[in-house]
Amino acid sequence: MKLTYLAAGLFAAAAVAGPVKADKLDDIIASGTLRCAVVLDFPPMGSRDENNNPVGFDVDYCNDLATALGVKAEIVETPFPERIPALMSGRVDVGVASTSDTLERAKTIGVTIPYYAFENSVTVNDKTDITTWEGMKGKTVGATAGTYEAIWLEGQVKEWGEGEFRPYQTQADVFLALSQGQLDATVSTTEVANANVKGGKFPGIKIVDKAPMVPDYVSLFTMRQEYGLINYMNLFINQQVRTGRYAELYKKWIGEGEPANLTVQGVYR
Amino acid sequence: MFDTALTSTDLIFLAKGAGMTLLVTAISVVIGTILGIIFGVIRYQIGPIWAAPLTFVLDICRSIPLLIQLVLLNAFFGMVVGLRWPGLTVACIVLSLYTSAYCAEIVRGGIEAVPATTRRAARSLGMTWGQDMRQIVLPLATRVALPSWIGLALGVMKDSALVYVVQVTELLKSTQILITRLQEPLFLLLICGAFYFIISYPLARFGGYLEKRWSND
Repeated sequence: MKLTYLAAGLFAAAAVAGPVKADKLDDIIASGTLRCAVVLDFPPMGSRDENNNPVGFDVDYCNDLATALGVKAEIVETPFPERIPALMSGRVDVGVASTSDTLERAKTIGVTIPYYAFENSVTVNDKTDITTWEGMKGKTVGATAGTYEAIWLEGQVKEWGEGEFRPYQTQADVFLALSQGQLDATVSTTEVANANVKGGKFPGIKIVDKAPMVPDYVSLFTMRQEYGLINYMNLFINQQVRTGRYAELYKKWIGEGEPANLTVQGVYR
Repeated sequence: MFDTALTSTDLIFLAKGAGMTLLVTAISVVIGTILGIIFGVIRYQIGPIWAAPLTFVLDICRSIPLLIQLVLLNAFFGMVVGLRWPGLTVACIVLSLYTSAYCAEIVRGGIEAVPATTRRAARSLGMTWGQDMRQIVLPLATRVALPSWIGLALGVMKDSALVYVVQVTELLKSTQILITRLQEPLFLLLICGAFYFIISYPLARFGGYLEKRWSND
């Protein structure tokens, strides 16, 4: 009797499961196009060149992923709040859009291992002798008031018990003060620091070290249930780092220096 | 005195966007008008009760915002049917149906404006229904319906700005891309408005010309 139930149960399960359906990975390869959600008002990750074509780290990353899959890449411009709705409404296949891998998001979408991390760097005036972040101890430092890095820096100054912290209204004010020597050092995201050092508006400043703050890890994403595609993208990110393409893209879009380490010490994933 | 980062490449980019707006509008207005005439005649001919299902569908097209129709139909084709149609196709389908829903009303109104006595006179002269429709109703109804139809076509041209949600880079989207890059919103919107005017004005004038010509004879 029990065996009959079991057989009937298995039969019902098989009937419900139905024929094996192709997953998203197969769909993308079959259709010949990979549609990526990319934010294009977020340089240097995504922006447009003078011919209004999409360029940036994320754009190149999407193109690399498409090349790996053997398909054509289609960049779908999505503002920040539209990244996940665009995926849910089937307008894109994956997101290559500097998306932080928060647990809240992971309830809705499937996120990969980090493909990039936004770190914070210490930028100093040339005339100071600061070479590491600890070198800021006892110096005059500043940052844009209210930002994550300003709160961290102010906390450090208090902890050291010497030196001075000065808040500023805008990022440009901070770099102007630094360039003029009113500040010895500042902490900002590496991308902003590089843009300001390269920009030439603020002479006499240089990036010396990374600040030991938890970086903002960002991931590729697709539909939550598409394990095949998520597995593929995880391996793809691994290969990008392994082959040196990650460092190459970092040098091309962000600047000199070591790209962020994408592993976290002391834990799997 | 006046300084802008806008280059000739960008103007060509905008012109391409305007071309896309024209293309989407032209396709949608032509298909929408043909469908609208068919739907309008059917609705008038078979009476309100039998036409109720058609009326209902057309009412849906008229009452749901175009933006939502575009997103939903695009998602439907992509995820349920499994077809990956280009955005332009989806945009033209939705805009055509939208146009046809309004056009059907205009056509119905036009036909109703032809005096019943005139039509009865035609039929009593031995004309068939087809002859009556073509030779009596068509010329009279067209004159009544033309101004509303021109208004509809101009409206569709401006509504076509919404097709950016299905990845069609038309005039307004091109402008937004340039605004993001150049940060000159007012100047760029001024140019965008000028482009819309350049493509709408001839149609409006042509409508005015036809109206004047037809009302004198």
